[in-house]
Amino acid sequence: MNICLMGFGAVGQGVAKAISLKKKEIKENFGFDIKIVAVADSSGSAISQEGLNAELLLETKVNTGSVSNYPQFGNNDIKGMDVLDSADYDCLVEATPTNIENGEPAKSLTLKAFTDKKDVVTSNKGHLALFFSELINEANKNKVQFKFEASVGGAMPILNFVEETLPSSKPESIIGILNGTTNYILSRMTSEGSSYKNTLEESQQLGIAETDPTQDVEGIDAACKTVILANSLLGIDCAYNDVEVTGISKISSEAIELASKEGYFIKLIAEVSKNALKVSPRLVKKNSPYALEGTLNMATVKTDLADDVTVVGKGAGSLETASAILTDIINVFKK
Amino acid sequence: MKINLVLELLDVPGQLVAVLSPISKLGANLVTLIHQRDNKNERGMIPVQLTVEGEQDNLQLLIDTLIEMGITILEIDGVVRKEILTTILIGHVIDSDIRDTMDKINELEGTSVVNLEVKLSDEEESSAMIVIESDFGKKDLVIARVNEIATDKNLLAVNEV
Repeated sequence: MNICLMGFGAVGQGVAKAISLKKKEIKENFGFDIKIVAVADSSGSAISQEGLNAELLLETKVNTGSVSNYPQFGNNDIKGMDVLDSADYDCLVEATPTNIENGEPAKSLTLKAFTDKKDVVTSNKGHLALFFSELINEANKNKVQFKFEASVGGAMPILNFVEETLPSSKPESIIGILNGTTNYILSRMTSEGSSYKNTLEESQQLGIAETDPTQDVEGIDAACKTVILANSLLGIDCAYNDVEVTGISKISSEAIELASKEGYFIKLIAEVSKNALKVSPRLVKKNSPYALEGTLNMATVKTDLADDVTVVGKGAGSLETASAILTDIINVFKK
Repeated sequence: MKINLVLELLDVPGQLVAVLSPISKLGANLVTLIHQRDNKNERGMIPVQLTVEGEQDNLQLLIDTLIEMGITILEIDGVVRKEILTTILIGHVIDSDIRDTMDKINELEGTSVVNLEVKLSDEEESSAMIVIESDFGKKDLVIARVNEIATDKNLLAVNEV
């Protein structure tokens, strides 16, 4: 299978690393070769029909800042949409940064791949949160596969899990912690008794929170995931603006202390059901599945037959997120 | 022995029969049944009064079975069942008249604030934890009221999941 990898940040690099680590195993277990025929970042691209070396791609990116400096096949001329026309690929792995304003460049890249009858695997949330039904319709119209497990909860299995492992049971609601950064900040505030401001700064120093933490702390990231879960698992036709969003920036150490006295933690909880599409700080019982520490993500799926099923996993991280992408790639091949 | 129960049923066909079937299965007798379909409560549910006679163990089993079936039991032998709800308000909780906040919660029938704890912060905003006791089945109404107050007074309400 020929892969075109768009975006070579943390997730894109994780995908290259994961492919390099698992190439042999995938060939043995599933009987197909994964070949990266094109990689692009914001400065340029590297394209070779013979396949690019994943380790050399990573080395080039780390040492020179761009894959455009890849020996022999790197270039500064072919960028963005043009990369898709310059490579002969089977599956687009779209790992550009999430854009919640207009979903670009992910949306255009994805739609172009669909029109060209290519399957698409993505970790991106922006275009899904804004144009979910349009994207699904286009994929169906062109009879291609479109998979986005990595977009919700990183390595935590949820979309494939509910669809493929629990097909007997109808999910009625999903309640979960879908953002690792805020979970880390709230966990630290609870254990250290520190203020929101100080804990955020500490998280930024550790690289857990980004320099501009708005998407995480204001609940935007979790709201995007809420939209994806609502559309894909509960059949609720909705977009980002339908979600009621409150972030954690108003949560004080005093509030956490009060909650703790009554046996509660405060967590940023996403609630996905026919009655509510909501991301907000909530009180969770200390001995409940929601009392999860650190950067972990979790989701409890309430179903009609199986009752409650809870999944937990790493919500971020380069290789962790790549694991979900690679799973999707394998599933694309299997179908 | 006898027990008096007040249940709350949805106004859909089959609900009453479903509730009554465990009674005979457990070898208990139905003594009284008052079911007034046109007498809905504020949640649009029909309160049903039952008097059931049987052995103590079986009556307890009946209550357990009804709860397991997801039936709301409002009263057992005249004692109103209560549920407890905790919420935290963050913002100008004192300046936005905390007395009035409590009164507005207490205004709801069968609902009262049983504990209030405020923590003042170095900064302007403070946090208040409010523990509310309400009649069984009223949780959603209480949460809706808390959210309404919070919106009006520009406070952040942190409710239970």
